[in-house]
Amino acid sequence: MNRNGFAGYHPLINFVYFTAVLLFGMFFVHPIMQVISLVSASCYSIMLRGRRAVRFQLLYMLPLLLAAALFNPAFNHAGVTILFYLKSGNPITLESILYGISSACMLITVLIWFSCYNAVMTSDKFIYLFGKLIPALSLILSMVLRFVPRYKDQIRRISYAQRSIGKDVSQGNLLRRARNGLTILSIMTTWALENAIETADSMKSRGYGLPRRTSYSLYRLDNRDKGFMAVMLSLIIIVVIGEVNGENTMRFFPSVQTAEVTPFSILIYAAYLGLCMMPVIQHMMEAIKWKSIASKM
Amino acid sequence: MEIYRIEDVSFTFPLQARKAIYHIQLTIQSGEFITIGGKSGSGKSTLLRQLKPILSPHGEREGKINFRGLPIEGLDQRQQASEIGFVLQNPDNGIVTDKVWHELAFGLESLGLDQQAIRLRVAETASFFGIQNWFHKSVTELSGGQKQLLNLASMMAMHPTVLLLDEPTSQLDPIAAADFIETLRKINRELGTTIIMTEHRLEEVLPVSDRFIVMDEGKVIVDDNPRKAGEALWHMNHPMFTAVPSPMQIYAGVTQDSSYPVTVKEGRQWLDRYITNRSFVREEAVTAIISSVKQPAVRFKDIWFKYEKNGPDVIKDLSFEVAEGQFYCLVGGNGTGKTTALSLAGGLYQPYRGKVYIGGKNAASMSFKELYQSNLAYLPQNPQHLFVKKTVEQDLAEMLVQSSLTREEKADKVFAISEFLELQNLLGMHPYDLSGGEQQRAALAKVLLLEPRILLLDEPTKGLDSFFKDKLASYLKKLNAQGVTIIMVSHDIEFCAKYADVCAMFFDGSITTSGQAKTFFAGNSFYTTAANRMVRHVWKSAVTVEDVIRRCKNHG
Repeated sequence: MNRNGFAGYHPLINFVYFTAVLLFGMFFVHPIMQVISLVSASCYSIMLRGRRAVRFQLLYMLPLLLAAALFNPAFNHAGVTILFYLKSGNPITLESILYGISSACMLITVLIWFSCYNAVMTSDKFIYLFGKLIPALSLILSMVLRFVPRYKDQIRRISYAQRSIGKDVSQGNLLRRARNGLTILSIMTTWALENAIETADSMKSRGYGLPRRTSYSLYRLDNRDKGFMAVMLSLIIIVVIGEVNGENTMRFFPSVQTAEVTPFSILIYAAYLGLCMMPVIQHMMEAIKWKSIASKM
Repeated sequence: MEIYRIEDVSFTFPLQARKAIYHIQLTIQSGEFITIGGKSGSGKSTLLRQLKPILSPHGEREGKINFRGLPIEGLDQRQQASEIGFVLQNPDNGIVTDKVWHELAFGLESLGLDQQAIRLRVAETASFFGIQNWFHKSVTELSGGQKQLLNLASMMAMHPTVLLLDEPTSQLDPIAAADFIETLRKINRELGTTIIMTEHRLEEVLPVSDRFIVMDEGKVIVDDNPRKAGEALWHMNHPMFTAVPSPMQIYAGVTQDSSYPVTVKEGRQWLDRYITNRSFVREEAVTAIISSVKQPAVRFKDIWFKYEKNGPDVIKDLSFEVAEGQFYCLVGGNGTGKTTALSLAGGLYQPYRGKVYIGGKNAASMSFKELYQSNLAYLPQNPQHLFVKKTVEQDLAEMLVQSSLTREEKADKVFAISEFLELQNLLGMHPYDLSGGEQQRAALAKVLLLEPRILLLDEPTKGLDSFFKDKLASYLKKLNAQGVTIIMVSHDIEFCAKYADVCAMFFDGSITTSGQAKTFFAGNSFYTTAANRMVRHVWKSAVTVEDVIRRCKNHG
């Protein structure tokens, strides 16, 4: 379980953070905002997943970026700044190239954010958050997570038992294999139903079905979480104010027009950078602090 | 204080004429540790489930059960959940959620406790049971013993006054089982919780029980402290006596001069007193002589095996031979690779180095048909994995679908095999409705229809009572006499000592020692039968209860 740094904060904070950066990443097309988001996402993903993240970004994300950037101008011919004409007579415009780069950038930013999300938001955090909204759902999810690996293991065992009497899916001709597979599924179903009765007994015997069921979790919203939340929310508000004032937008067609850089917009950029980099900053601060403590030990 | 008063309770399952339990009369005091024994189907579990009405099966109950002086029907679901804990036989079925911590909290959530209260109780319980080291784990990562301990702990988190357990250790290996019983003893002694459990394996549990109740055909036939209960069983000449600890059996077989010894320690002390006045020849261990192997039925040659490319080696340089017609037992601790070795012999896996020879041929180059038609048969640990049809008879017939025999010949074969394993009365039943021992027999019948020359058994005695074990042994011996080679993996030392020809000790992926069963166990100090541990300072080579009794009688 990943419980270091940002992942160690309350699931609500993790969730709000990722919702914010994902939404912002999708809607802000201003180049500075996009670069901020992309760089932060890459930094965080490298921090979380190390060498594997670098490989992922170079091997999949970079080609995807280039492909998407080239694809758009090949099909989209809007825009006023014509660079040259294709053999088919269609124009290649500066606007469509820029738009291609921008949307490709957005795509991979969102993908990288999702890879971070997956590393941080483990199943039990997700269950916890949505269990708050619908308590029955959290139990069902938890039970599903219990039963899926159990059934998988059981199918493997049944398949081995059947193999030893020559009736596994890997034995015989196609028809027999299909038949053996169905037999295994049928055994599995009988087994599952039979054993579910006992599990139901175990639940009943521990009072399942009583009214006013509560939902326990290991997570607590402590002071550290509250502090982090306050900073995060204020940064989000600043960024949203910027958005409302049109500081984060950009127009591509018919001609490129970016919101102007003003002192106010610089404030917005700084807030956005701060927001996106929060986990990285938090991690670095913790690392520096740890070093200084360790040096005194 | 009186916890339960059971007055004249009988119970009949729907559509059955015979009563499953019959006029039971019991009082149970607070803080008692009670073990209920008896053959499978003697009504133990039925009685136990009557003590927690929400788990009682459908059917008709007569008589009265009082819980703390009040009729048990008056207990609402909330009280039943928090006052009476129940632990099931199969550790996996008891667990509902995916995380250890969540499982511990499950019952408390049902009771509607708030976060703070649950936090405290979960913490307390985890500390008491030593769960804190695996508190955050997924339940799939736990061993069987840990799972059962988790079931117990999640019950105890609700602070019940009574704990009911239905054969809780039958699916565990001996070490985990002993740990589990030890934990129960701790709960009983330190928290004063009343414990009522049914159990087949009495060796560990009788020494810690206050009372031993024996049931037979739905009736309570013995109800006393373990020593007296053992004595009573002996006087009744009851088959259940074969299930009591070896020291008791030995003592009863030799004299009747003092109270019955329950533990190996007491047995030793009694034996020392017994032999002081008599002249005995102390024996030294006989050195093992293994008769030269005839034609080996199965031969392992320098086998190495691992499950994953970068995983650890599970089998390391394993070589052994099993002679034609031998009964070969592999014993040893959990996770030493016994079952893996058996699967290799069964051709379910391929070694990455070395060769397995089946009847002189390399198993890797044999087709499935060659391997499994009239050659090898593998009985999996859980017989349920083999059943595919609605009745036992159809299930047996299904094995012969692909053979070229005529309909009559097939029917004859099914008839012969069901006669051999005494399944005639069970042919019309659904395989899942059979008891553990009967399922084992039906599964054995299935694999025997393939007419194997080599039979591989994976812990066939797991969860069986002593009566069914003896039965199983008699079938295996008959097969042996017909020339079938049997290789068995087992934790059941007593069973191996009694019936096997050759035993081999598995440790760290390989066989450490092997020898003829008796000499093998005589050569071990800890890993041997209870009877041998009791008398090995006098007679090293006495391994079974019968050996010891014979020696005592001869010299006395």
